Amino acid sequence: MMLRNPFTKALWDARRAILGWGMGIGYVAVMYTAFYPSISKPAFASALQNYPEGLKKAFNIQDMTSPAGYLGSYVFGLLVPVLLAVFMIIFGSRAIAGDEEAGTLDLVLAHPVSRPRLLLSRLAGLATAVLFACAVVYLLLLAIAGPTKTSAVGAGHLAAMTVQLALFGMLFGALTLGVGAATGRRSAAVGAGVVVVVFGYFGNNLAPQVHGLGWVQRLSPFYWYLAGKPLVNGLDLAGCAVLLAVAVVLAAAGLVRFRRRDLAV
Amino acid sequence: MADLAIHTEQLTKMYGKRRGLAGLDLSVDTGEVYGFLGPNGAGKTTTIRILLDLIRPTSGRVELLGGDPRRDGVALRRRIGYLPGDFIVDGKQTVTELLTYLGNLRGGVPRERVTTLAGRLDLDLSAKIRSLSKGNRQKVGVVQAFMHQPELLILDEPTSGLDPLLQQTFLDMVREARTAGQTVFMSSHVMSEVQQTADRVGIVREGVLVAVERVEDLRERGVRRVEIHFEDPVTVEEFAGLPGVSDVTLTADVLRCRLDGRADPLVKAAAKHTVIGLLSEEPDLEELFVTYYRGAPDDAA
Repeated sequence: MMLRNPFTKALWDARRAILGWGMGIGYVAVMYTAFYPSISKPAFASALQNYPEGLKKAFNIQDMTSPAGYLGSYVFGLLVPVLLAVFMIIFGSRAIAGDEEAGTLDLVLAHPVSRPRLLLSRLAGLATAVLFACAVVYLLLLAIAGPTKTSAVGAGHLAAMTVQLALFGMLFGALTLGVGAATGRRSAAVGAGVVVVVFGYFGNNLAPQVHGLGWVQRLSPFYWYLAGKPLVNGLDLAGCAVLLAVAVVLAAAGLVRFRRRDLAV
Repeated sequence: MADLAIHTEQLTKMYGKRRGLAGLDLSVDTGEVYGFLGPNGAGKTTTIRILLDLIRPTSGRVELLGGDPRRDGVALRRRIGYLPGDFIVDGKQTVTELLTYLGNLRGGVPRERVTTLAGRLDLDLSAKIRSLSKGNRQKVGVVQAFMHQPELLILDEPTSGLDPLLQQTFLDMVREARTAGQTVFMSSHVMSEVQQTADRVGIVREGVLVAVERVEDLRERGVRRVEIHFEDPVTVEEFAGLPGVSDVTLTADVLRCRLDGRADPLVKAAAKHTVIGLLSEEPDLEELFVTYYRGAPDDAA
């Protein structure tokens, strides 16, 4: 029964959003992957060769000829992670701050439910949503690997990329959940998420091109998400560890404040 | 203090510079029905939200069912039923879905208990919350507060939105709860809501408890209108001078007056004649409370 506890209830209430976003992100991943056979033609590759290096770096498009390079640039380089981040920003900011602003949080916390338990339940709900979306992306790309001539990447390296994608998404879930739990304000949570996506993206892709700003790249979640080129080299443990650790710290910091503060009426 | 369900000492709550509570001393006995009265903004909801650990006091002590709402919150809230002043829940679910979920948070509530309560309040369990009127939503709130038969019921303006018939049903439920040994703490800004069931009332004004009274005592002190039908004509003079009696009017053999306080002198005076009928209205306690509200408790009352 889905009405058993705050975790299953959150999943049940968000079932349509989870399904919709998961399928939507999967659809985008499939559409972009399907272009690979036409882009990998020699004529197209040589056209890209003439693009300025800075532009290619800015849009994460460098190695277009191999399937791993293409997937890393077009599929996992921009749209899929940004869509997942947007999904998590919406979902994570709703989880506590949204309920509090709507006025529905009071009643649940007036029941025998502790604040840590509620926050962890909501965090688990976010994790489930991320895992679902990533599983959809993984399974769909695996299924179309043959027809799209991308099977050279291999199931293992695709899985590694998806794991890093999941941790990347989780970071935004933990960020917006944490800020929302700490402040009780949905706008603050959404704002924090959007700032990190935008600055994270440009920090990762533009900062290295500015002399002396290379270190900025390491502040970006995108850097750690793409760290070690998982499609080429498999799972990057350092990247995973950084993403996971930051997510845990953000959620924990939100919890510390959430436990102490007054709930808004 | 084991016989106290709720106990606070010098409880204060500041919202920034705004006063919520300014040293509230509250004692609610186990097993009693306690009416917590005060005008809007006096601190009733603030007190209740502190008891449930939704907000934290600035200073002072709180004891709830022998525990600390902050430290033992989860264990304590298991033993409490709470009806918020604004019962807000997600509108997309049905009443049954919501009540099942809330029951599960409490470790499960027998289904027939929910259907019985819903039946008494004439509440449609299959309706979507969104489609319910304010009154019907309030019924859902009442059911979820009562359904697990908690030791302590904390009800914030429970009858708001209920029609008079349902208010009576609700008051019956409060009486049954007391009979079953449950403690009921209910807030209101009108006396008439609590005077029918409460054993005691506490009056809060500007964040402080200004008076605690037994409702029985108030009744004794309250002003009531009395009408006495005599068999033979009587004179105004016989009654006009009696203690507590005022506004005496006489039409043929019917005497009407206002009675302030004990009825004894009036009854003894009337007993000198043959009394055919005696009508005494429920005292209007509202009047007493308005004096407290205004901040100058009238000792003559």
